[in-house]
Amino acid sequence: MRVIDPDQREAMRESFERLLAHRCTEADLRRIIAEKDAHDPALWQEIARTGLLTILVPEAHGGIGGGALEIEILMEEAGKALLPGPFLSSAVLATAALVESSDEAAKARLLPVLADGSLIGTLAIAGEKGLWDGNDGDVTASGGGEAATLSGVANYVSDGALANLLLVVAGRGTARKLFEVTDRAGLSATRLEGFDITQRLTRIIFDNVKAREIVGGDAAAIDRTLAMARIALAGRQAGAAQRNFDFTVDYLRTRVQFGRPIGGFQAIKHMAADLLIERESAISGARAAAEAHANGTDKADELVAMASFAVSEAQVKIAFDALQMHGGIGFTWEHPCHLYLRRAWHDSKFLGSGDLARDRFISILEKQV
Amino acid sequence: MTDEELIAEVRLWIAANPAPAAADAEHSDFHRSAPDIVAWREKVHTAGYAVPSWPARFGGRDLTPQQSRLIEREFKKAGLPGSGIDRISIPANILMQFGTDAAREKMLRSFVTGASSFCLLYSEPGAGSDLAGVRTRADREGDHYVINGQKVWTSSAMGAEYGLLLCRTDWDVPKHAGLSFMLCPMRQEGIEIRPIHQITGERHFNEVFIDNARVPAENLLGEEGAGWKVMQAALGYERLIMGEGVTDRRDGSDAGLALVALAKANGRIDDPVIRRDIAQLVAWRRLNDLNAARAKTAGAGGGAALMSLGKLAMSRVLHGDARVRRDILGARSLLDGPAFPDARELNYHALFSYINSIGGGTDQIQRNIIGERVLGLPREVEIDRNIPFRHSMAAGGSGR
Repeated sequence: MRVIDPDQREAMRESFERLLAHRCTEADLRRIIAEKDAHDPALWQEIARTGLLTILVPEAHGGIGGGALEIEILMEEAGKALLPGPFLSSAVLATAALVESSDEAAKARLLPVLADGSLIGTLAIAGEKGLWDGNDGDVTASGGGEAATLSGVANYVSDGALANLLLVVAGRGTARKLFEVTDRAGLSATRLEGFDITQRLTRIIFDNVKAREIVGGDAAAIDRTLAMARIALAGRQAGAAQRNFDFTVDYLRTRVQFGRPIGGFQAIKHMAADLLIERESAISGARAAAEAHANGTDKADELVAMASFAVSEAQVKIAFDALQMHGGIGFTWEHPCHLYLRRAWHDSKFLGSGDLARDRFISILEKQV
Repeated sequence: MTDEELIAEVRLWIAANPAPAAADAEHSDFHRSAPDIVAWREKVHTAGYAVPSWPARFGGRDLTPQQSRLIEREFKKAGLPGSGIDRISIPANILMQFGTDAAREKMLRSFVTGASSFCLLYSEPGAGSDLAGVRTRADREGDHYVINGQKVWTSSAMGAEYGLLLCRTDWDVPKHAGLSFMLCPMRQEGIEIRPIHQITGERHFNEVFIDNARVPAENLLGEEGAGWKVMQAALGYERLIMGEGVTDRRDGSDAGLALVALAKANGRIDDPVIRRDIAQLVAWRRLNDLNAARAKTAGAGGGAALMSLGKLAMSRVLHGDARVRRDILGARSLLDGPAFPDARELNYHALFSYINSIGGGTDQIQRNIIGERVLGLPREVEIDRNIPFRHSMAAGGSGR
């Protein structure tokens, strides 16, 4: 990984922010999520043109060669705009899974087409229980190398119906391995109706589906992929929390009842002060995890685990209270409050629940006493 | 002088000057310093490292605040007291900023070096959250003010040489406009100090009864009637110190890990509810530290906003910590005293936590401040804000 200096990182963030401000407005968002796959091919191509789909791709494979710091800050922007579509699935989950493997042939073949947006990837990793803990997988592989077959079920696969590159984790625990589906025969993907209407989830049944084993796609590589994805998700959560808080405070300054802005009432003002703690904590939690991971400090696992429950908790509290503070207008479909609430709940369980992250966190702390 | 030259100079000076023996114990009470520490501080001040950002005529070196921080960092690294006074000392800074020449001449050096101890005479029985409602009166008589009233929650009042006194000099103008701020000599007849028995069983705070005490007029800080402005400056320094208290734990212990250790020792670490609660509290604590760290690196505007959150965020950590400890200890938390040290520690901290959520502005006042000054929400309605103080209910008037 190359070192990207803070100015370059800020330039990337700004360009992504600018793009989303123009092409992912609330009106765009509502138009895009009305589509079957919540995907806007034109927007996808524009993101590809900025090069940001290659953020996690090493320079040797034509990418930007970024890491945790870069993906975290970009995902904050994605979260602010509630960017729909497969950015997390393709540019993070599928891309990181390949990057973390040692399969140079697969990288050379797939990373450039993921980068230019012509291929959309995703990673099927959770089982029926949806735990993302490495032990809930319900897909098994037989054979290996170029001639493996996959059977079983993968659930909660993000953008599973849209993606044309399907990477699959088979097996459990230390026996987990990464595969690439090479032939869709025997595969059936069902779109699931989701609570977060900006995201698409799929349940996929594998019946002797032909697949290729990704070299070096072992349990350790899969865990590294998950860590990177959790940092990205924390960034997205922190971003959504910021925007949600900020437009809510704007509302408190302008909504007049009883002859003055409602933010003047302590019942509301005190809620807002408490939520500011959550806003700042979400940002600090996500960025600290990214920084520790990027610097390879021994606190990295601990801070990623902490971000995986604490950032989400902050986001959910903001989303919940923001809707309450908007009163009746917040209860309408046309107002964005419910979209942020839906996203907050989605992100609180996607890639594993807060309780599992808390458990990982405490287990790490236990070793320190 | 470049920053590098300055740092080199300071390191050279520190290397050439042996540290005082009691340097480690120094930080326990910022109101008061032991004699050998005072001697050391004298040395630091004479060398120009105590208040480097002050003008030369007050013993400073006309350096920038940033350069002063560089010097302070070198002293901190070496574990030495005496620097950074231009950042954290309440009496030294407000006296330098607002004092008369005579008062500076008389007291400034002793505040910088800590030779003079002080206490804060702000709160009153009738003016807690509503500090601008103080009723302690100061009446001018010749070259003195005569002071009458009562102060409360005054720590370190016993033995203090000066009290930073907020008092009322004009009862016929609105409450904020009639206040004055002065340095009141504490060791005189007319000042009676009575310790307060606190819920923790300790007696750190005091009531101060003031009966015809006298303050030289030259001890007035700022103009008569401009005391609220001086008060705000003084509170600014105090909040800075409290905010830093959140992160700069001097014993280096990790309070989050202590909770894990307690659960382990009591066989409760595998209880999922306890695990969940501990995770929450450790995360809150860590996030508060991370927020404070971000505040230090953020630009001036964002930094102040983050800093103001620390004390409020700490309340949920401290009270929550006590709740989880109680759950971990179970029935043993019913006990107390030296025979049950873990219960005693828990009970002490459970009660002591109110210092954070009440002292230095209650959590509720803190939320008002954050809402208004950080988020720009409308100010609280104050019905006595624009009437002569004499007519306010605080002064026994009709409130109109």
